[in-house]
Amino acid sequence: MICACVIVLALGVRAGAQGRGGRGPAAPAGPPPTAKASAPVDLTGYWVSLVTEDWRYRMTLAPKGDTDGVPLNEAGKAFAAAWDPAKDEAAGEQCRAYGAAAIMRMPERLHITWQDDDTLKMDIDAGTQTRILGFNPSQAKGGDWQGVSQASWDRPKSRMAVGFFAPQGDWGGGLKVATTRMKPGYLRRNGVPYSANAVLTEYYDRFDVPGGDILMVVSAEVDDPMYMISPFWTSTHYKKQNDATGWNPTPCSAR
Amino acid sequence: MSEKSTPLKKGTKTGILMLAISIAGAPLFAQFGPPPPPRASEKAEPSPGVDLTGYWTPPMHEDALERGGGSELGDYAGFALSEAGRLWALSYDPSRVTLKHHQCDAYVAPYQMRAIGNFRIWEERDPHNQTLVAIHIWGQTTEGHRVVWMDGRPHPPAWAPHTFRGFSTGKFMGNALYIETSHMKQGWLRRNGTPQSDQATVKEFIVLHGDHLTDTTIITDPVFLTEPEVRSNDYFRQPVDHHAWLYACDDGEQITGRAPDKVPHYLLGQQPYANEYALRYKLPLIAGLGGAESMYPEFLAKLKTATEADFKAKLQADTTRPAATSRAADPEPHDGEIHVLPLRNDVYMLVGDGGNITVQVGDEGALVIDTGEGKLSDKVIETIRRLNPRPIQFIVNTSFRAEHTGGNLKLGAAGADLSLPGSFFGLQSPAGATGQEIDPAHHATLIAHNNVQIHMQEAKLPPDAIPADTFLEDRRRKFHNGDSMEMFWEPNAVTDGDSIVQLRRADVIATGDIFTTTQYPFIDLKNGGSVQGEIKALNDILNRTVYEHEEDGGTMIVPGHGYLCNEHEVLEYRDMMVIVRDRVLDMIKKGATLAQVKAFRVTADYDTRYGASSGPWTTDMFVEAVYADLKKSQK
Repeated sequence: MICACVIVLALGVRAGAQGRGGRGPAAPAGPPPTAKASAPVDLTGYWVSLVTEDWRYRMTLAPKGDTDGVPLNEAGKAFAAAWDPAKDEAAGEQCRAYGAAAIMRMPERLHITWQDDDTLKMDIDAGTQTRILGFNPSQAKGGDWQGVSQASWDRPKSRMAVGFFAPQGDWGGGLKVATTRMKPGYLRRNGVPYSANAVLTEYYDRFDVPGGDILMVVSAEVDDPMYMISPFWTSTHYKKQNDATGWNPTPCSAR
Repeated sequence: MSEKSTPLKKGTKTGILMLAISIAGAPLFAQFGPPPPPRASEKAEPSPGVDLTGYWTPPMHEDALERGGGSELGDYAGFALSEAGRLWALSYDPSRVTLKHHQCDAYVAPYQMRAIGNFRIWEERDPHNQTLVAIHIWGQTTEGHRVVWMDGRPHPPAWAPHTFRGFSTGKFMGNALYIETSHMKQGWLRRNGTPQSDQATVKEFIVLHGDHLTDTTIITDPVFLTEPEVRSNDYFRQPVDHHAWLYACDDGEQITGRAPDKVPHYLLGQQPYANEYALRYKLPLIAGLGGAESMYPEFLAKLKTATEADFKAKLQADTTRPAATSRAADPEPHDGEIHVLPLRNDVYMLVGDGGNITVQVGDEGALVIDTGEGKLSDKVIETIRRLNPRPIQFIVNTSFRAEHTGGNLKLGAAGADLSLPGSFFGLQSPAGATGQEIDPAHHATLIAHNNVQIHMQEAKLPPDAIPADTFLEDRRRKFHNGDSMEMFWEPNAVTDGDSIVQLRRADVIATGDIFTTTQYPFIDLKNGGSVQGEIKALNDILNRTVYEHEEDGGTMIVPGHGYLCNEHEVLEYRDMMVIVRDRVLDMIKKGATLAQVKAFRVTADYDTRYGASSGPWTTDMFVEAVYADLKKSQK
């Protein structure tokens, strides 16, 4: 009798499961929802960076060879030791520290909008840069400072379909962005390098602080075996603004 | 509770039954009888959660110097420090950690999360219904054990003790574990003296992306910050136990022969290393001195234009501003009720009638240390009776001041010293008369230093409110209810009649107004108080305390006013008293007048914690007392 109870009750749970992630009955036929329509979180708007960590590296120009905290290999250290901002300026490469792998660390403001239903656009006043975060696969060649970014919604989920044992509820979620095909640049303005083969993985989370501000935290991983012995991890936080106050596009600077 | 939930015994009828019940929920209970009454854990909102358990290590790619070797002095960039916070930090001398009581200072919760070393997270579940009771976070450095209660319990009241890790409650919000933490001790935002006060609270989000865990802390500190301080920390998952969870620390003599009233610090405006950070890295001098503006992109422009004068102005208090006042939470309930905080071994702290009351109960009758203001004495008596119906036998006063003796009359009359009937005192009692001296069987015995009696007699208080059992020298002792009670006279602390009272077995010390968490020391020069005597008294308390672990726990300190403490709060208070003394003394030696000392704002870094501009004990009164006492001692 007890085993029968288990089966009946388990079926009951399954029948009650609705909606997301393939855990319930099949959804009605039709095109999949757009990224905008299925967003678990709204990241649009103006954001200002709160520079409370790695302050010296982000707000000022650190001395040559000061690579503290970055897991560089010998090639990376040698590259950083040879940094010459004048040479970068002469080559017209003042934006080396404004590439996707580093630009989120700049003191800056962001303006995030939906370019279309499946593409987020991020304008950044530091260096007057724009990142395009597309949810559909891109055939772009990249090779520029911001590379090619593949966006997806990041919800907690199992790797397997687990049927009626699937947990119930809404876990929310964030934005995941994988960026490749970047032009080689600097993780820090003082010449700490990343290569064209670097892979940047970012997780964007929005936190509505009860009784407080709205924050966005970007947890980033830069994986670059050419210059690093292990991935370089940072988390960078922003505070939401009501409007464009303080928006101040500036050109890239090598110093 | 164990760290793992109770496993099902698969294949057994018991296991299947448990599975059935867990899936079915409440309706199935009808088959087996009514459900049990709801547990506290069932009051929490049902919400999904993510699994954060495992072993975690911070890569420390950000702020590697701060989190490893330690930041330079003068590097407070990116912190929204208030003037008080900046000056507190500039006053800090790292040699302070050579002081015995500071050697094992633990980390407050948000700094713990930035510490070097390994972390472990595990769940605690109710073994009967598998609801999530708590999430535990263990940091290897300082053995920082944080307990995040997930069962919906409230935060403790304002008079409850503080710990380095504080009291945390949590719930899942979307894909994050959201935590609120209160009741922390004073500690560090950064290990170079950047302070976080005991009034700080933290809101925190922990999210998991694959094997990348990110913890974001939002620190609000009305004492030392002008804006919330946001910091985020990353951790990667370790697949195996690294077997490195302990952090042994014990204090010892690092500098022998140092006078007990020496606290390493720098005088305001005289921090010799304030420019070292900027000079080392070739930055504008203003770079390290922080403030909320240093967090924002606009500060880039200021870095280009700031002058040396701007830098120097930040090294001392702004003398054009009025003194700040306390932004600390009021620890008094103000609800007309008496609140009981159990301490240890049948010892309790009673809160609500002005000064704190300490009560020891037992078969011999209650021993009451201080009686409050006397406005709620009936409720105090009723509360003590509920703790133990035996009558109050002894009342001990730490001071003659009204906040501590106001209830003497009523509590005394409600008590009885049953050790004395039939003795000389009882035989001398006139028929029908009552009172502690003439009829102890119908009155508690009141004990205090003799100067308490003298002051109360001078004030013409009712005789039965005045301690009759007095002592003259340094110590009075009594074995009561299985514990050793000792009173230690502290001549010339806040007055000339103060005592600290220790219950040795319970390991509780009641300090009277020698130590409070609410105001600057009430140094009553007119009634025999003194700066040096107050410092000595605070050190005498510290000489009798033992912490349990990393400066947390151990000897319980009941302050005259404020929340229950241990030695750490006394230590910070002692440091403050010494530092203010040194500043005023330095100015007196240079010929400063009282007006000049006040104008210099010598207490600027403590005013947001203890300052007052009105009431019975203002910042001005405190500075005037310190100045007058030290000036006198210089003659």
